[in-house]
Amino acid sequence: MNNLIEMTYFKRFLIVFICGFVQIFYAAYLLLNLFGYSIELHISNHDLFMFFPGVLVFVGSGILTASYYLGDKKNNNILYDEYTALRYYKIAAVGYAVNGIGIFLLFSIQDWSNWNFQNANNMIYQIAAFAWLTFGILLAIFSFGDYKEHRNG
Amino acid sequence: MGKHHQNLLNNLEDYRKKAGLTQQELSDAAEVSRKSINAIENGIYVPSTVLALKIAKTLKCKIEDLFELPNT
Repeated sequence: MNNLIEMTYFKRFLIVFICGFVQIFYAAYLLLNLFGYSIELHISNHDLFMFFPGVLVFVGSGILTASYYLGDKKNNNILYDEYTALRYYKIAAVGYAVNGIGIFLLFSIQDWSNWNFQNANNMIYQIAAFAWLTFGILLAIFSFGDYKEHRNG
Repeated sequence: MGKHHQNLLNNLEDYRKKAGLTQQELSDAAEVSRKSINAIENGIYVPSTVLALKIAKTLKCKIEDLFELPNT
């Protein structure tokens, strides 16, 4: 258990990168499907496979949270220092800005003259997938930058 | 004087070298990441008051020796 919650730069890179990459894959898949571009891979919404990204992100963020609160204090002061917090803050700010623009665009392209539950349902999926895609890309970029800075910066 | 942030001039690199410390040793003593020390020295990041005080304490100098406001 201690091994699991004692965080290192490399473990954090792995967790954040894998979560980001899986988010990108699923969100891109869903967005392509919603806009009518099907790739030769069929994931059913009744399939357990669809729970994978949610469970992964839940477990990943759980490990990071546990390491922050229960891990070695001195180690955590270094791993989660104020410069890292600033980078997280900037990533989140960019994410919210891109999501704001994305939601505006998604609202703009809807067929409001022929509005029904099916369209509303699709729009909710589009917004969710876009948010996951945005934050997935930002998490993957952050994880690379964070680890690279630790090694060289 | 090292490289500066637009809102803060810093002498951190000079004082650290005078104290005979590497960035890693200073960061360990101040309980902060090495990249934070590097970012401060290169004028990328302005430290919080607590971190600036910890660094000054580690280098046995006053905070004003390490950092000063630019003349406006």
